[in-house]
Amino acid sequence: MVRLRQDPMPLMLALLLAAAGASLVIGKVWLPPVVLFDGLAAPKPNLAWLIVTELRIPRTVLALMVGATLGLGGAVLQGLLRNPLAEPGLLGVSGGAALGAVIAIYFGLAARFALATPLLGIAGALVAGALTFLFGRSGTLTLILAGSAVSGLAAAGLALALNFAPSPYAAYEITTWLLGSVAEKEWSQIALCTPFVLAGWLCLAATPRGLDALTLGEAQAESLGVNLNMLRVLALAGVALSVGAATAMAGAIGFVGLVAPHLVRPFVGYRPSRILLPSAVFGALLLLVTDIAIRVIPTSSELKLGVLTSLIGTPFFFWLVLRLRRMSP
Amino acid sequence: MTTPRKNELSLKAASVCRRLACLPLMCLLLPACAGPATGTEGLPDGASSGALPAPVAVRKPTRIMSMMLCNDVLLLMMVPRDRIASITYLAHDAVEALLPGADTGVAINHGTAEEILLQKPDLILAGTDSAPMARKLAKAVGARVVEVGAANSFADIRRVVRQVGQAVGEPGQAHALLAEMDRKLAWLASHQPARPLRVVAWSGSQAVPGKGTLTNEIIAASGADNIAARLPDSRYGSFGLEELLAARPDAILQGETRWSGPSLQDAQSMHPLIERYWRGRRIGYPDAAYACGLPQSADAAIALRNLYRELPAGRPRW
Amino acid sequence: MTVLHAENVSYDIAGRSLVSNIDLACESGQFVALLGANGAGKSTLIRMLSGLERPSRGQVRLDARPIRAIDRRVLARRRAYIPQNARVEWPVAVERLVALGLMPQLPVFGDLDRAAWRKVEVALALCDLSHKTGQPATTLSGGELARAMLARALVGEPEIVIADEPLSGLDPRHAMDGVARLAALARAGRLVIASIHDLTLAARYATHVAIMRGGRLLAYGPTASTLTSSRIRAAFDVDACVQGTGAQAIVDFIARPDQPALHPFPGLVPA
Repeated sequence: MVRLRQDPMPLMLALLLAAAGASLVIGKVWLPPVVLFDGLAAPKPNLAWLIVTELRIPRTVLALMVGATLGLGGAVLQGLLRNPLAEPGLLGVSGGAALGAVIAIYFGLAARFALATPLLGIAGALVAGALTFLFGRSGTLTLILAGSAVSGLAAAGLALALNFAPSPYAAYEITTWLLGSVAEKEWSQIALCTPFVLAGWLCLAATPRGLDALTLGEAQAESLGVNLNMLRVLALAGVALSVGAATAMAGAIGFVGLVAPHLVRPFVGYRPSRILLPSAVFGALLLLVTDIAIRVIPTSSELKLGVLTSLIGTPFFFWLVLRLRRMSP
Repeated sequence: MTTPRKNELSLKAASVCRRLACLPLMCLLLPACAGPATGTEGLPDGASSGALPAPVAVRKPTRIMSMMLCNDVLLLMMVPRDRIASITYLAHDAVEALLPGADTGVAINHGTAEEILLQKPDLILAGTDSAPMARKLAKAVGARVVEVGAANSFADIRRVVRQVGQAVGEPGQAHALLAEMDRKLAWLASHQPARPLRVVAWSGSQAVPGKGTLTNEIIAASGADNIAARLPDSRYGSFGLEELLAARPDAILQGETRWSGPSLQDAQSMHPLIERYWRGRRIGYPDAAYACGLPQSADAAIALRNLYRELPAGRPRW
Repeated sequence: MTVLHAENVSYDIAGRSLVSNIDLACESGQFVALLGANGAGKSTLIRMLSGLERPSRGQVRLDARPIRAIDRRVLARRRAYIPQNARVEWPVAVERLVALGLMPQLPVFGDLDRAAWRKVEVALALCDLSHKTGQPATTLSGGELARAMLARALVGEPEIVIADEPLSGLDPRHAMDGVARLAALARAGRLVIASIHDLTLAARYATHVAIMRGGRLLAYGPTASTLTSSRIRAAFDVDACVQGTGAQAIVDFIARPDQPALHPFPGLVPA
């Protein structure tokens, strides 16, 4: 059992700061830092200022917010379910959110009512999460099965949306949107979803004490004065609000919520309460670095963020499965 | 969403001037599509008859089935409707945009094998995808299959139009259509725009047409420079907002489908930066006119050219 | 003086009665061993006594107050509960595991202070786990984990300790060790309630026994007078002889010749 005692936060925050800086400098259009600084000092608006303030800063903020949401959501779900495989994506929450957002966009609700996309994203996440919790209560295996069933349901809904896409172009749009991206989002869109994300974080911030108690199992946690039903509601609402709104903005991005808690857990002595913040920070770092990689990797068509996180995350998932198999008899 | 669009130049708004530009073509097309205008059949226009090889004296096909959208339009232009067995179910939108009303009363097919057997065509104009299946069934119904490739350049258009003209037994029609097209292209070439223009067909950063696309060819014919043609990979590439800002094109061409339902493109790709800095510099074009390489592609180029005149002076300013 | 009183409690689930009309009052200084065959309703009774389960009928009172009406954190400070086969879900350090027992005492946000850590050290020492400090709890042996759970229960110094089969899965030495610790707690003035399968250990260490069968309470009273061979036969369907009392007590089972389960071919036994 690896036990690492040093606090990972200073290092991660330093890396996060460095990555955020790099994210402002690196892009499809190479502007040397000197030019960027000149542009920020020069009369506005100018090209460098526009690129930084209207494209790269929103992109960075969104990557950080979505990454932190996924990292935090994964950490809370893993703590709540005491299951290292719990993650918004695997539990169908991301799929439900994506389905909700697609419905909002393609049934024209988003055009009439701007809040429709985040709200339906949240509703989809909530329904999917509740279904998974409801059917998968009795253990790890059933939970994962329920999660894949709910994910399958969401995927079927999305396939139906694709099937009835009003034009081939709309179908193409849905599929590319689902691949996930934080590029070229407007400030107004980010502003619209941020309150929901923050509300979700607030709910999740109330869970660490209960998650720690769950180290002893549900019965003992309850005997220690933890209101389990309240804890479940808080976790589910928090994940649905934050992941739903994040998915409505950035599409379905998987595996960050799975990877982040695992990598920080040894550094905090495996205490469920203590992984929340590092996991959020690490999730933000992971997604931002992945997004920077997308801008650097030379491709003719844009490589999508969700594609790269899945490419990175899937081998990790395999490793996790192997490790669990070795641990269980 | 709708109010800023009204401010934009659009082909719909400027359709009157496009009609005028197309007038000579319309005169040519009308008899061809209007039905049994027997007089013109087989008789090439006088101006071009000399260059044409003598038409082979085969019986003209009378039950022509088109299995590709672009062939549908060509067929409607060259052959009277009573000789058309069917066109594809996809054709209607393009026909409405290019030859309004020309497909009235023409049967449709969905490219299925059953329809080939049922409609018993004597000539099948197939696309590259539908050709193998058409060939397999052609024997059963005694049809000839002509595989027509996609046209992504004016050279392609000449080849395809001649091929279809030959296949349907109307080489003279084909020749006349091409002569008209070349006349327009020659006019465009000899009247370059007053100032060099850099444009891009951009509707969101995905799938921006670059080298080797029909859109690029039309833009080039219109006398402008397609900045996406410099993408490393040919054909469609992604061209992000950053690159768009850095390239600062004089105008952004945006495809407009006849279908106007909600889409992500409206909800997300219309970034405020575009609205702010390309106000009056967004040119809407009908997607249908750019979907198929046709003689009308020259008209599309002329329409673009006419719209360039209304662009504000100078480059987008910020 | 703490009094925990189950007043005619019953517990039904899906039309089946798991516990019916049990009236049981225990108080500080008692070590009540809850005895009964599998499925007698011991765990359900224990969960109701702990205030974790609401009885279908009747109610449990702690010092005359309905236990379900007591604030869950206040109740958590007063009684500790150790479930059957308590497991630890994450490889947290042993001292962290024990410190979780202090959770009801701590403010909602805030970590353990020096005084709290001292309590953890005392609890660890009490359960012979001082040398395991820093070790991941998942690597403890069964006996060590049971002691760690006991330390977790004791660290908050509750008036009542309720344990569901705390000795299950322990070897004789660890089982004796565990039950002796519970007895010591009772001698120190706490109320200890534990369901126990080893009747000899119950006879030696418990001050009181409550014997259950089929959801009913057969008998309840001081060990020496209540744990008799006839009651064991009634509760477990085995003959037993009880020899001696106190630390020398032995409960021995005797095979009954008419037990069909002992026949090598159960299917051939005439009805």
